[in-house]
Amino acid sequence: MLEVERIRVSYGAAPAISEVSIRVGAGELACVVGPNGAGKTTLINALAGLHPIEAGALRLDGRDLSRLPRHAFCGEGIAVVPEGRRLFAGMSVRENLELGSYRRAARARRAASLERVCEVFPVLRERLEQPAGTLSGGQQQMLAIGRALMAQPRLLLLDEPSLGLAPAVVLAVFDVIREINAGGVAVLLVEQNAALALELAARAYVLEEGRIAAEGRPAELLAQAEIRRAYLG
Amino acid sequence: MRMRDLAGVAAAGIGLAAVPFFGLPAFYESFLYLVFHWIVLAVSWNILSGYSGYFSFGHGAFFGAGMYTTATLATKAGVPFLWTLPAAALVAAVFGVALGAVVFRLPRLRGELFALLTLAVTFVLATVVLNTPIDGGPGLYLSAVPLPAIGPSPSSTFYLLGLALALTTLWIAREIQRSRLGTGLFAIHDDEDVAEVLGVPTYRYKLAAFGLSCGLAGIAGGIQAMFISYVTVGETFSIAVPLNVVLMSVLGGSRHWFGPAVGAAAVTALLYAFTAGDYAVAGRAAVGLILILVILFLPEGIFGELIGALKRRRASVTPAVDASDLPAPSAAGPGKPENRPLLEARGLSKAFRGVQALAGVDLEVRRGEILGLVGPNGSGKSTLINVVSGHFRPDSGRILFEGSDLAALEAHCIARSGIARTYQIPRPFAHLSVLENVALPAMFGRDAQARPDAEREARRWLAFTGLAGKAMSLPGELNLHQRKFLELARALASRPNLLLLDEVFSGLTHAEIDDAIRLIREIRARGATIVFVEHVIRAVMELTDRVVVLSYGRVIAEGDPRAVMREPDVVTAYLGKPRA
Repeated sequence: MLEVERIRVSYGAAPAISEVSIRVGAGELACVVGPNGAGKTTLINALAGLHPIEAGALRLDGRDLSRLPRHAFCGEGIAVVPEGRRLFAGMSVRENLELGSYRRAARARRAASLERVCEVFPVLRERLEQPAGTLSGGQQQMLAIGRALMAQPRLLLLDEPSLGLAPAVVLAVFDVIREINAGGVAVLLVEQNAALALELAARAYVLEEGRIAAEGRPAELLAQAEIRRAYLG
Repeated sequence: MRMRDLAGVAAAGIGLAAVPFFGLPAFYESFLYLVFHWIVLAVSWNILSGYSGYFSFGHGAFFGAGMYTTATLATKAGVPFLWTLPAAALVAAVFGVALGAVVFRLPRLRGELFALLTLAVTFVLATVVLNTPIDGGPGLYLSAVPLPAIGPSPSSTFYLLGLALALTTLWIAREIQRSRLGTGLFAIHDDEDVAEVLGVPTYRYKLAAFGLSCGLAGIAGGIQAMFISYVTVGETFSIAVPLNVVLMSVLGGSRHWFGPAVGAAAVTALLYAFTAGDYAVAGRAAVGLILILVILFLPEGIFGELIGALKRRRASVTPAVDASDLPAPSAAGPGKPENRPLLEARGLSKAFRGVQALAGVDLEVRRGEILGLVGPNGSGKSTLINVVSGHFRPDSGRILFEGSDLAALEAHCIARSGIARTYQIPRPFAHLSVLENVALPAMFGRDAQARPDAEREARRWLAFTGLAGKAMSLPGELNLHQRKFLELARALASRPNLLLLDEVFSGLTHAEIDDAIRLIREIRARGATIVFVEHVIRAVMELTDRVVVLSYGRVIAEGDPRAVMREPDVVTAYLGKPRA
């Protein structure tokens, strides 16, 4: 479904990632692990249209997206939970969620999606009319995930969804990801909680210094002692 | 470098001061006076607005206050012209400080609201002057006021007065930029809350900058009143003054003391060149076009970009420093948990818009220990750190640190008493280099070190956290992991007794967490007491001597980490499933 072919993305002169190729099949859940600074966030931002791709191809169901304007990525059914949450701090929790369902296909199912998000994160229901900026850090992370779910995406990009969440909530978030994926949504997950991510994923990539250092089924990767040590301890 | 600078400026000053004695035509003297006049206004505006980012559209009000002070004293009270100038400075400065004393207390009035408010003040002042005996409508004539013969002719006298004031203003702006005051103002520009928490007395600094800025504008107004010799409300309090001043500073570069002077000279010259001919309209259009081009292609201003390029070239050679001569983070000696409390919270409460973030927290942090603070999201952990560090004031309760109550102290005083913190989402000063970011708390923390010492200290902590190679980078060039460690280095540089860490481990890989754990152990070994908020349970288990669990703003459990993590309440509220 998602085909990323040898893309290069740079900040200034130095390429942050280069020659990176990734595939996520329809309804598949793939994950990317790697040390900080390897380019994981850059990769997610490029796939979400937040950062321009310099070279290589980005295809969704065969359609080339690499020349598409930023806002159109959402219309193609790609939703993202970006690093640092990037919420609309002055708007209420409800408004943040509703903005998530801006795309036509999602708007029709807005009420149902909102109900679903509130089921997953009950604390958001209590805070619906509160400005997003007044939520605690972890609650803001829940809102960022909720906002992405509201888009009814075909492809969900998650940049460290567990960041700053209490262990019980991390488990709940991963249950939701599993469930969404089971409903046919393709997921690309960047996550430092490698144990959980690799358990969930059908396919995994190790990104190091801007390049794909290893890829395969999680079990294959974990068979390599070096990878085990670095990401699971 | 400093002496050479001063000698150069002195030579230029003497050279320029000699110009009128060589018989320059009066026209040029008047033109140069105008250049000096705008330099004074732009550079003085920049002291508050450029350095600290509080954009004022009220410079015309303070300039006007000076004009009317001189005009009133000279025409109605018969005060000699030169003696009216200190009064003009004083009136404008007092006016500014009085306004600032109200406005700077209100955090809501940052950014565009401050700009609008200062603009409104201009119009209020204009109305007051127009409708009281100060002016009353017809304006004030100064043509009968005697002008002291400083230069060989009246125009050269204005030239010399303008020159003297411009040099003084530039000197003041330069000294401020290099002083603690300047460092504090630039920090306020990027993140005022963080600056305060790191020990910068933000309220006092803003007032000082505003007072100086207004006073200098007041003197410029006093001289200008005499120069144009007919003062009216319409001309004095027009929007043109603040607009020109903002334009000049942005054009020249508002992050350097000399930038606005470059902009002022350029704009004045351009406008004059065109109004002198028949192209006044074309001249204004040209200035507008130039401003647009500068904003598009030189966002730091003409002079700012120049300086930036120079700095980058110099930055490529940086002295090597190793972490071997690390000082102890605290004066308290090597760390070992003791039973004496370092920090005690009693009945601490804090609510936000009806959400009770802290509901009567009692907590004790013992000297030399590592205390883990865990709990569900929104249970009040970060609020607790925010209250202890002075970011928020508690609604009720006491916080005793080394026996004295912190609850009533301002955040910068808390920082100076030896408490430092990090932020969950890193909040570095975006326009300061990594080195400057870390040097700032050393300058404003407990030891209040001078800049060179603070920078040496900062380099040590950068080496300690593995960021030595990034000293000259801007924080924006760092990845999340490095930004988290920058937070840590910045907290350590003030050599705190108590270190509050808010989720330093989140987002790190397993191997990176191992490094961070080693780092925290090392910090404790050097004598600091540490409280850390964390969801990475492995780090909590490996590092803490005790844990405290918060839920809905209350302490629900505390004690030995292994025992606490098995308590059924903790498991259901926090962990979600039992852990060994």
